[in-house]
Amino acid sequence: MVELDGYTVVPLRTAPDVQHCHSIYMREHFIRLMDPNKPKGRTLFLLNVPPYVTEKSLKTFFSQVGTIEAVEFAAKPGKEETIKWYEGAQEPFSTTRPPFVFKVAYVVFEKSSSIGKALALKSIDLFKSSGECTIKSGMELWHEDYEKRFLLNAEKTKAQIRKYMIAYDKRERVAAEAAKNSEADADGWVTVGKDGRNAGFEQKESVINRVERKLASDKKTKELKNFYTFQIRESKMQNIVEMRKKFEEDKRKIELLKQSRRFKPF
Amino acid sequence: MVKVKRNAVKNDAKKAARKDSTDSVVEHDSPDEDQSDLEQAISSTDDGFEEPSPVRKDPQPTSASQSKLKPKKNKFKDEAKNVKPPTLEEMKELRDTRNLFHSNLFKLQVKEMLEELQLKTKYSEFIEHWLESFTAFAAQLKDGLMEGSNLEVPLRLSQKATGFMFSKPTRDPYLIGAASTGTLLGPKIVVDVALEMPKESIHKEDYINLRYDQRRALYLTYVTERMREYPEYAQDLFSFNYFANNPLKPVLELTPAAKQVTKHLQIRLFITAPLNSFKPGRFVPWNNNIRPAFYKDEWDEEEPLPSTQHYNANVLFDLTLSENQKHLDQFFKGKRNFQDGLLLLKVWLRQRELNVGFSGFGAHILGSFIVYLNQHRVLHQSSSSYQVARTVWNQLANTDWTSGISLAPTGLKADDMEKVAKHYDVVFLDVTNQYNLCANIPLHLYQRVRAEAKLAVDLLNDTKINSFPYIFMQKCPLYSRVDNILKITNYSCVEQMLLLHSKPRVKYDYADYGYPQLLQLLTELLQKGLSERVQAILPLETATVAWPVESEAPAIGKYIQLGFILHPDHAYEVLNKGPAANDDPEGAAEFRRFWGDKSNLRRFQDGSITEAVVWGTAQDAPFKKRLIVRQIVLHLLEHHLQVDSKDVQYIASELEQVYRLSPWFKVAHLKTKLPIEQETDSEALSPHVIRCYDELARQLHGLDELPLEIVSISGTSPVFRYCEPQPVLPQARLKGDHILATQVQQVVIQLGQSGKWPSELTALRALKTAFLIEIGEKLEAQFRLKWSITSEGLLVLKQGFCFMIQLAHSKELALVKQAVTDRGVTTYVDNPESRALEREHHILPKVSGALHSLHQTHSAFGPTVLLAKRWIATQLLDEGLWPAMATELLVAHLFQQRHAPQPIASPQAGFIRFLQLLSHTDWTSELILLNFNNSWQEQQIADLENSFRTDRQSYPHLVVATSYDQQHAGRLWTSEQAPNRPVLGHVTKLARHSFEMIQTSLMSKDLRFVRPAQLFRASNEGYDLVIQLKPDLVPNTLCYDLGSPFVSFGQPNFQIPLAGVDRLAAVVSQLRSAYSDFAAFFYNPHGGKELAIMWRPPSEFAPKPFKVNEVQACTPCDNGKVQVNRETLLEDFKLLLKDFYLRIATPEELRREQREHQQPKRYFNNEKEKETEKDSPKPKKQKLQGSAKTTPKTKKQKLQGTVKTTLKPKKQKLNAPVTTKLPKQNRTIKASTLSASN
Repeated sequence: MVELDGYTVVPLRTAPDVQHCHSIYMREHFIRLMDPNKPKGRTLFLLNVPPYVTEKSLKTFFSQVGTIEAVEFAAKPGKEETIKWYEGAQEPFSTTRPPFVFKVAYVVFEKSSSIGKALALKSIDLFKSSGECTIKSGMELWHEDYEKRFLLNAEKTKAQIRKYMIAYDKRERVAAEAAKNSEADADGWVTVGKDGRNAGFEQKESVINRVERKLASDKKTKELKNFYTFQIRESKMQNIVEMRKKFEEDKRKIELLKQSRRFKPF
Repeated sequence: MVKVKRNAVKNDAKKAARKDSTDSVVEHDSPDEDQSDLEQAISSTDDGFEEPSPVRKDPQPTSASQSKLKPKKNKFKDEAKNVKPPTLEEMKELRDTRNLFHSNLFKLQVKEMLEELQLKTKYSEFIEHWLESFTAFAAQLKDGLMEGSNLEVPLRLSQKATGFMFSKPTRDPYLIGAASTGTLLGPKIVVDVALEMPKESIHKEDYINLRYDQRRALYLTYVTERMREYPEYAQDLFSFNYFANNPLKPVLELTPAAKQVTKHLQIRLFITAPLNSFKPGRFVPWNNNIRPAFYKDEWDEEEPLPSTQHYNANVLFDLTLSENQKHLDQFFKGKRNFQDGLLLLKVWLRQRELNVGFSGFGAHILGSFIVYLNQHRVLHQSSSSYQVARTVWNQLANTDWTSGISLAPTGLKADDMEKVAKHYDVVFLDVTNQYNLCANIPLHLYQRVRAEAKLAVDLLNDTKINSFPYIFMQKCPLYSRVDNILKITNYSCVEQMLLLHSKPRVKYDYADYGYPQLLQLLTELLQKGLSERVQAILPLETATVAWPVESEAPAIGKYIQLGFILHPDHAYEVLNKGPAANDDPEGAAEFRRFWGDKSNLRRFQDGSITEAVVWGTAQDAPFKKRLIVRQIVLHLLEHHLQVDSKDVQYIASELEQVYRLSPWFKVAHLKTKLPIEQETDSEALSPHVIRCYDELARQLHGLDELPLEIVSISGTSPVFRYCEPQPVLPQARLKGDHILATQVQQVVIQLGQSGKWPSELTALRALKTAFLIEIGEKLEAQFRLKWSITSEGLLVLKQGFCFMIQLAHSKELALVKQAVTDRGVTTYVDNPESRALEREHHILPKVSGALHSLHQTHSAFGPTVLLAKRWIATQLLDEGLWPAMATELLVAHLFQQRHAPQPIASPQAGFIRFLQLLSHTDWTSELILLNFNNSWQEQQIADLENSFRTDRQSYPHLVVATSYDQQHAGRLWTSEQAPNRPVLGHVTKLARHSFEMIQTSLMSKDLRFVRPAQLFRASNEGYDLVIQLKPDLVPNTLCYDLGSPFVSFGQPNFQIPLAGVDRLAAVVSQLRSAYSDFAAFFYNPHGGKELAIMWRPPSEFAPKPFKVNEVQACTPCDNGKVQVNRETLLEDFKLLLKDFYLRIATPEELRREQREHQQPKRYFNNEKEKETEKDSPKPKKQKLQGSAKTTPKTKKQKLQGTVKTTLKPKKQKLNAPVTTKLPKQNRTIKASTLSASN
């Protein structure tokens, strides 16, 4: 067993007789600002997980050292990375899927004792005792995928949509009502909607920009710029500096133009 | 001052009434009126007067109120200055600056180019020095009798002259041409020097029967011989060549041995004679100077001797040379601006290759034309070089030389000019009024020069593009501008034509030089036969090669190459209608004589009965119609000149074979009502799909009771714009619950406005799906169409075609773009997903429409794209490496931009230009702009170009932008990854190679045109690994397949896959996303069955220190470092391609196997199965697949084992019949196309 920079390195085997395999770097997950979903002492951190490894296959394997609460992936270690990884992928009717790249994995055990046991493993074997790989791949996977993703049953889909839309309408209604009655909730927050007496303006970039522009122009009209002598002097100086800069830039541009073009016809 | 005045005038005009009243102020001086008028005066000043103008007489300060108002007025004016509406002057000035800037940029580039072209002083010094030494050499020559010479006289004449008396030159040799006018042009500098024979050495009788030319050649030989003996020239390289491919004009080509110049400088020695050597008027165009008896021909005594205008001009060239040169020298000496102007024109001319050969439009004509224009006060002494070039183009385009112009200061009388013009196509008389500078230029070539000049002017006037590279930088050889090429190289065939069909008068005229005779013969015949089908028939010449002075002069002019520029509107008409038989019996007889047995009497729908030739039917596929011109040409050659089609080469549509339907696929097996022939191609099949789509669109519009109506339907697949290279056949069908289809056509629909769409992405998508299901149900209920809902859209089956209907909604796009910043503010920013969505749903429909209409105007657009796409695909480049849209847009650019005076009429010519574009464009400094509908503003283009230039890194390597995706500015169709830098470089290299191959085959006398297999098959060099996929899991392309670079032909597999499945593409995109740091993946998206892998450079696999974020795919090695293992990655590939791949081999192994067995490798398990499969087009997949499904690693190895061991002995037996079958099939196809065209 190899240790490297605090990581335990074990091979990941997809078949019993495989000769060349990827190395997984494992250690207990520990950072200063812990994520509540990856609790301290119970989370195993795996580095360099090949793209084709699934949550299910890891769960199956690691269940031999203890009960598992969750297995999660991320593109790289970091706070928001897990959320980013799964963004959009779990929504129904979305075609987005997690990227197919080398990734990191977090295995959350129920008991902290499982970590030690897991770190003592000689290899991560993703195959059944019969030698069959627990990860579906190739034609088998594609077939399954096509059936599941591409060919939807119209009736079932319709029912699903209906259900989703009812839930959505309900959510909307609740939100709208909350905005209307403008009562403080338990924490003292008031929901402000577009309608109602205390309607705020929409928090959109375009709207905010418009407001800011208006404020700026208001301020400008009130401000006196050429009032004091020093202001005039400074603005003149500024002007000259800018003109010089512009001139230099133009010169550079022409140089660039000269460099980037060929002028030899033959 | 002026401005004020003008404004006052304007005020006068506009506010006449008010002015009146102000005047009245002055005169009447009434207080009441005064008050009101003053107020008006104030309002009028702020848009006009700046100060009290001198024009307006200062009004008397009539009242106190006025003086009080004055300061207020000024203040008001100051503030108003910023918002003052622009005056007429201002507008004019703005426009002027803009125009000036445009030409300034042009000027800057021209200046840079002229600097590049400037002759280095070492050359000019050398030339000066050389001329001095040559003068000294000429002075020491002595008269003498030329006896037997070591050298061969560079002239081929039947009679040999004996006893030539050399008399020494009495005049110093002098520079002529570019060297004299100071317009020498690199990279190979050719300095022309003339040596004048003294008058004494020419006899009075020498004008007749080529005696002069003989004397000239002998003189040249004598001088050459003396030069070789002269110590100063002993080291130099001597050779003879024909000037302008003219066998009567041998010149000495001397390459000086002096080290500093030997590579780039060459001296040509011309022998001339003084103008007064012969009686004046001896060589007027209507005189005969070569007697028929000279060729032992008989001539009727009664008839006047035929004029030999071209031969006369040929002699006059020598006689008038010194006068003309003097005239030009006087003009150009010391005038840098005119010299530079001529240089520009020479660059322009040479890039177009219009100056090559016997019929070439030489640069000296342009030089003389500049002088002519100056004489006629069109060009002024102070014109800049740019103005000179521009004016010359303008005048070239707008004047007509066919009726003749003259350089002589006195001009020529109209009657005389008319007389001269009768003898030549184009007339530009020199300063002596005797020699026609354009004597040898055929009319078509002259028209071509004019068209090019007109294009240059148009390009200069277009302010939206930087025309400089198009005019000066881009090489546009003549052959790339013609659509079809006729090559006659067979010697006996040419001899026969000259002997039997060339008119004697033409023979004398050209002194029995074959080339112009052939040119005239063929041009006349073909022009008459093709009439308005062609715009021009141009001679394609190559310059003759010099030969050593000791060897005999080569015979030239025994082959000819003609280029046809077709008229896209008329070239492919199937009918040649002659005169009506009863109205014009003579005309009808003549028509019948001309066309021979092809001509028939036909009755037409309008009741007329006329002679007509029918070349095909109106319903013929476009590829057949494109061969009509070929048919006509070959027929005419055979009928009139008895030239067999075997003896000529007609280059047209050879490459178009690659998008033909594969001959292995039998259309007869297809169950469809559509009329589809076996011999068809993607282009001919596209209309079927489009018609079906149109009907589907009608049905969609006609759906009852949809909650929202469908407002727009657009097909976005390439087939809808004739850009799908793989034939789309009506094969799609339902099998169980699954739809099977080789291709799925994308259709994007938009619904009417409604405010009720949810503002949550998932809910919106759910509703969209619900909508699509409803549409599907209604389609089934009303029109009995089969459908199926997928997560991507609605699949609909109609008439054997499969459509994927998607719903576009702008709110979806907004929601995808939506992001919330840290401050909780909602913003809308582009991200890869939104960009893809916007491209597919909102921009592609527009671009698709634009390209469709482009195809409607230029029918060669679609097929050119097909060729280009096939080429890209066969170079193992798929969508992930080279986006197909980029290909389409690049070709569209070729058709949209006016690179040539005429639009491209044949796809093959379009493809050659596409290769040229790829190979010659510098992608780092150029961006391709497609201004559809001209909707892009000039300012926006300038901004984009500016940003592109200053911030090049932020753009993809290949930048293509259309006017429909302005906000994405070149980042929509290509990306950093596709094409990435190596791929772009690779494509450039491939294009250059292919282009050169085409070029050499076109310009060579002996080579035949490239075979498609030479271009449309990738090389198998450079790849590290090849993963062979199971042939029965990857369907073959329906295109005519030219084979894979790695393995030999296998049994084709035309199985129809599940709709929307492209396993290879899917898995390769997965592989790329995970492993592109370590390897590059290549495959042929058109039915390729191998995946070629190239490892990244070894540095990627070197040991590196352990870092948490850079540990992908690494295993530990020594010293705590980690490294990537290729073997591990290979195991990954095997896992990902489980049950899909056959084996992994290196290209060397595959090559060796092919060599060892001389037989293609087959992967079948037993002989019997093989036998049965050979007959049926569809291989039995089930069996193999069944075994494949249950084959994990162990079985696969067994499979490999069987391949390697058990198959080997069988193969010999097995494949023998198949391999013999393949070429045979190929041949039958060729034969059939030939027979179709004949």
